Amino acid sequence: MTPRELVIKTLRFEAPPRLPRQVWLLPWAKNRFPQEAAALAERFPDDIVTAPPAYAIPLPVDGDRYAVGTYVDEWGCRFENVAEGIIGEVKRPLLADWSRLDDVRIPVERLGVDVEKVNTFCRATDRFVIAAAVPRPFERLQFLRGSENVFYDLIDQPPALRTLLGRIHDFYLRELDVWAGTDVDAVQMMDDWGGQRSMLVSPELWRAMFKPLYREYVDLAHGRGKYFFMHSDGYILDIMPDLAELGVDAINAQVFCMGPERLGELCAGKITFWGEMDRQALLARGSIDDIRHGVQRMRSALERRGGLIAQCEFGPGAKPENVWAFFEACGGG
Amino acid sequence: MELKKKLTEAVIRGDAAETEALTRQAIAADVDLEELLSEAMIPAMDEVGGRFARGEFFIPELMVAARAMKAGMALIRPRLAASEVQSAGRVVIGTVFGDQHDIGKNLVGSMLEGGGFDVIDLGFDVDPERFVGAAIEHQAHVIGMSALLTTTMPAMRTVVEELEKASLRGQTKIMIGGAPITQRFADEIGADGYAEDAGSAVALARALVADGGSVKGPGQ
Repeated sequence: MTPRELVIKTLRFEAPPRLPRQVWLLPWAKNRFPQEAAALAERFPDDIVTAPPAYAIPLPVDGDRYAVGTYVDEWGCRFENVAEGIIGEVKRPLLADWSRLDDVRIPVERLGVDVEKVNTFCRATDRFVIAAAVPRPFERLQFLRGSENVFYDLIDQPPALRTLLGRIHDFYLRELDVWAGTDVDAVQMMDDWGGQRSMLVSPELWRAMFKPLYREYVDLAHGRGKYFFMHSDGYILDIMPDLAELGVDAINAQVFCMGPERLGELCAGKITFWGEMDRQALLARGSIDDIRHGVQRMRSALERRGGLIAQCEFGPGAKPENVWAFFEACGGG
Repeated sequence: MELKKKLTEAVIRGDAAETEALTRQAIAADVDLEELLSEAMIPAMDEVGGRFARGEFFIPELMVAARAMKAGMALIRPRLAASEVQSAGRVVIGTVFGDQHDIGKNLVGSMLEGGGFDVIDLGFDVDPERFVGAAIEHQAHVIGMSALLTTTMPAMRTVVEELEKASLRGQTKIMIGGAPITQRFADEIGADGYAEDAGSAVALARALVADGGSVKGPGQ
């Protein structure tokens, strides 16, 4: 069975012979632990990979987004970074006031995907391929407008908010459409909706403003025969049933922030859990036994003839031996 | 409806314009402003914090309530100062050295301001000496530190140690927070308190001030 077939069996709850694997190796870890990262890749190769971000015209970005300093992305958002190997934050948003709304640059270069190059990549691998594009309407709003302003806006509901969100959403639909036209197996999106113990916004507000957008993304993907993957950090328990109902095939969420057992009661067998092993405590400070126990909890609570992918982030603070122990405990093969 | 009750409800709703209008009305009617603050506005923020803790309010509701509170306070403050009524306390806040994540810290700052504190925001990537220096300069009752990365958490311990070296531990309390932070970690490094979210940070700051932070500031 190829890795691609393994992942598909997992997503369809068809009793795959083992858990598919994927490590999210951040430059922080790659720079500090090159040997451990290489050994991990050799012993536990990823079953899921991301398509190359191949564009006909280079994206108009400035700087290295993982380097210390300033990085300007293709929307014109400036990220300030003080730590090597991670992504910075926007400190001075373009739309601190709404007067520059019409100056927001839609990065049409991202629509010029080199389809042949992507398809060649897909044909050459037996692994499950996810599109390189990652729509993130809520986060893009924050990058452009500033997080605090967005929180005010969500209550004040100025007309410009809807205008901006509409423009962002229209662009993401176009971008997903382009990628859905390639040979990738899945498209993906992300938006961080959770704090440590509750959602950032009320589930009602999310359902009224954002769920309809997500529905369009999922429907577009499924209509083109693609699986739909999503990432969201933090506590998102309240909207997990909504995501399952929308048809999100796999969700990357902070399972331990919500409790695997509670998540399982709500959604096991209805959506695939694309990880993740806890990076806030277990990977950073846990023992090998803690990791093994965590894997047992995940499998027991979330796996139902599939529905679970062994995924973790090898990023700031994670102990290499814990990352290794995680994949070992999830089963080899 | 009684003015104070209306004001409480306006703050809870996050209606800054109504809060401002009612505060002006109270001032014009010569209402005791200290009473207005203690009987209408602070209880409103307590209620907002309570609703957040119960999962009825979320970050946007906290933010607009704090904004409304600030709008009312901006009118009251100059008059309270004239009658020598003090603020809830002075809090120096910042994200620790090596960490640029300050969204949570900014929310805490807004809530503290809404709660009647004077907030000195040092921003992000703040080295330990700056925390301690600012605490001395502003005679802070509390230092509030935030970290998002597990790799930057140890910087909090350094601030605790630097504060000890400066012999300020009895006068300036330390509260910490951030996604990977726990009460256990706070206990390990000797912090005086841990707040798990912006709502509980205000109650914690009040408790710390009451527990000694409200004594004379450092250097006095």
